[in-house]
Amino acid sequence: MFQQIIALIIIAWFLSRLWWQRRKNYISASEFLFWLVFWLSAALLIIGLKFIDQLVAGLGFSGSGIEVLLYLSVVLLFYLVFRLRLKLEKIEKDTTKIVQHIALKDK
Amino acid sequence: MKTFCVIPAYNEAKNIATVVSQVKPLLDQVVVVDDDSADRTYELAKASGAVALRHLINRGQGAALRTGTAYCLNQGAEIIVHFDADGQFLAQDLKKVLAPLLAGEAAVVFGSRFLNQGGPDMPWLKKYLIMPLARQVNKIFFNINLTDPQSGFRALTARAAETISWRQDRMAHCSEIMFAVKKNNFKVKEVPIQVVYHSFGQSFADGLKILKDLFIAWLSS
Repeated sequence: MFQQIIALIIIAWFLSRLWWQRRKNYISASEFLFWLVFWLSAALLIIGLKFIDQLVAGLGFSGSGIEVLLYLSVVLLFYLVFRLRLKLEKIEKDTTKIVQHIALKDK
Repeated sequence: MKTFCVIPAYNEAKNIATVVSQVKPLLDQVVVVDDDSADRTYELAKASGAVALRHLINRGQGAALRTGTAYCLNQGAEIIVHFDADGQFLAQDLKKVLAPLLAGEAAVVFGSRFLNQGGPDMPWLKKYLIMPLARQVNKIFFNINLTDPQSGFRALTARAAETISWRQDRMAHCSEIMFAVKKNNFKVKEVPIQVVYHSFGQSFADGLKILKDLFIAWLSS
């Protein structure tokens, strides 16, 4: 119970930061929405940890709910890194286009 | 026919003037693309009589070749040759590379280090392990059956250069160009060329990086 409260306090702090960043226009509306959904989902999962324990046991996993959440978060992190890599690739390509355009224009 | 030569160069102040002076008499125009060198490559290329283009940020050999090729096409080139700036290739081989294009026998010509008698005088590890492995990768994954899996000495007709649009900025452009040539059914010819090795060149790790770059490009396409 104590750990759950700590986790919820941390999430509340992240949410307040998120709200502040949006108000200052540091992040776009879509980015704000993504992280809002992300942190609210995390809060919901922590609140419903007992239910997740039952669900995980019902599905036949030997680990507890929090362990399964940890595994899922690692999978999610891998996916986000992959998305980031593709995004980086696109930025690299766009940079090259600009550099080439300038090289040809300067001639 | 208007023949242009593109030489991508990065920190090649030591060799660029010699390379340009050797290549220039054999072609209509030499275009050096300086890829943000820290030395005087750009100035020396210009002083040697080449058309010099400059990348403001280092973007890699594939990107520099693309810039140079775009310039040549804008200038009405009919044949475009890709050549190295480090003095590895010999200017006298240009005739051999150009001949099939001038005779209308091919649309793309690749210089091959492996068609010379006895094979190339390259480091042992490269000759007997890295290159055969790269050849098999090209064959299995890209259905490319060329003797030299990483040939940087090539000549293309303007039509082929316009059609083939390689996206790889760094070293993977070699495989990508070969793949694009095959995909577009251009008539290909390989001719023997000589390569003088000043350094080991691409290592096994570089080969893996090429594969990784091609894989990421495939995922993001």
